[in-house]
Amino acid sequence: MNAILTMPEMAVTALALGLLVLDLWTPADRKGDLGIAAIGGLALILAGSFLFGAGAPQYAFGGMYVLDGMALFFKRLMLGVGVVALAAALEYSKRFAAGTAEYCALILLAVSGMMWAASANHWALLFVSVELMTVTFYVLVSFERTRMPSLEAGVKYLILGALASAFLVYGVALVFGGTGTLGFAGDSGPGLGTGSVLVRVGLALVLAGLGFKIGMVPCQFWAPDVYQGAPAPTAALLAAGSKAAGFALLLRVLLEAAPDWALEMRPVLMLIAGASILYGNLCAIPQRNLKRLLGYSSIAHAGYMLLGIVVLERAGAAAILFYLAGYACAVLAAFLVAALAFDPGEPEEIPALAGLHRRSPYLAAALALSMISLAGIPPLVGFFGKFLLLKGVVLAAFDSRSFGWLAGVALAGIVTSFYYYFGVVRAIYWSAPAAERPPIAVSRVAGAALGACLVGIVAAGVFPSPLLEAARLAAGALRIP
Amino acid sequence: MTPVGLPHYLVLSALLFSLGLLGVVLRRNLLIVFISLELMLNAANIALVASARFLNRIGGQEMVFVVIAVAAAEVAVGLALLAALYRQRPTVQSNDLDALKF
Repeated sequence: MNAILTMPEMAVTALALGLLVLDLWTPADRKGDLGIAAIGGLALILAGSFLFGAGAPQYAFGGMYVLDGMALFFKRLMLGVGVVALAAALEYSKRFAAGTAEYCALILLAVSGMMWAASANHWALLFVSVELMTVTFYVLVSFERTRMPSLEAGVKYLILGALASAFLVYGVALVFGGTGTLGFAGDSGPGLGTGSVLVRVGLALVLAGLGFKIGMVPCQFWAPDVYQGAPAPTAALLAAGSKAAGFALLLRVLLEAAPDWALEMRPVLMLIAGASILYGNLCAIPQRNLKRLLGYSSIAHAGYMLLGIVVLERAGAAAILFYLAGYACAVLAAFLVAALAFDPGEPEEIPALAGLHRRSPYLAAALALSMISLAGIPPLVGFFGKFLLLKGVVLAAFDSRSFGWLAGVALAGIVTSFYYYFGVVRAIYWSAPAAERPPIAVSRVAGAALGACLVGIVAAGVFPSPLLEAARLAAGALRIP
Repeated sequence: MTPVGLPHYLVLSALLFSLGLLGVVLRRNLLIVFISLELMLNAANIALVASARFLNRIGGQEMVFVVIAVAAAEVAVGLALLAALYRQRPTVQSNDLDALKF
């Protein structure tokens, strides 16, 4: 029993519960301090996670839980995402009537669910960690329960999320029926035997359930509505954290547990990747709402990242990890600005961003940088991530022609995305505001969190090698049979 | 008469799962949709228990407890959410959820 390995997750959970208890004795005007304490605690846990070395994989709970290089990479990413999401929550929760501490505690619980997911090596842990995330997100999405769009987004996420969970658990049941084990490894060494029909159908259902988390076609219907209706910090956590957890699980299931099946399903995965890229980018073009636009673009980014899965190699996995880190920085910055730049209750319309560079040059520059990185313009981190993913597909195209069209679709999607990302930049700098609006005061916490994201976007783009090395090391830990 | 084996149980669970899925797709009442979702989870439970029994592996039965516990949490949050929705707008029809469009 190696329960000590689960220290980071346990610490995050304890922090969340402690926050809820402390909330009882905190007077209403001091609730903000609880949020600061949560941010500090999570940052401490992030620093503590560097005490674990990425050596040989270590197991806990009879092999259900694995701590290897990839799990550590994802955990650090999720802890970082959690810190920024909490900073956004602290700022955003000023518009809640009550419940700052609950909101922060729920974010912490969602982060702990993502961290368990990063270490899942067993179908039961996979299911429970996914549900810990999903059920907390039902509440996080609908947290503004007097605002109709938030409630509506919550109900849509509830129905579609529960549907995805049902697919997932039925898939797990069929895989269990076919293999007789709930671990990711069969009785005879790593990798499940995927010969029987039962296992194949089961894995397809699991793919559908996890596909909901990452927002890939055809499980993407929730994304635009939920991103638009949810409070901005929730949407940030959904985009950066929940998607990362989904990819962590997909990498484990497709590359470690069922590589034979993944190879067989490769044409389908390629089709899904291409369809996600096209659907996300084409639907994003006419959007006027910033958060809805980010929802559609998140579908396209899920498609780009699937390019790293279809090559079914460690290099592709490393590209996904690098891309996820860069995407997290950019999308967190965008949602932080969305939380700060709009008045409470005001829909996040892109034309309302006009004149933002005069109201707050810092926010304007941050949103512009984030959009340029999402579009993939050098020298920002988004460019390098897209380059790595495309490189894998183009190299594969030399071996098999069928990859050629996928590379073409991805390039076409990237070029299309320039249009709507630069539409946002144009709205910030070059459109005339309808009415003069007061300058925006950015609090120190929010400013620092935004600064951290911007440093990530620029530094990892100009000097990609440290992050790339970490991603390669993490992907090297994948036990591909 | 053939004895009842694992395939029979799996067919039963597949039928139950399909019925639940049909309910989710076709019905417009959010409460019925929610009940159908529970039906789908219970279809999975039948498949798990039957597989555990016939393969002689206890793991499937343990998994069922986990699924039941998680489903209970999901229902608790889900019904609270539907109640909060009903307070804002007295309806349980999914067609009335139309605020989020571009």
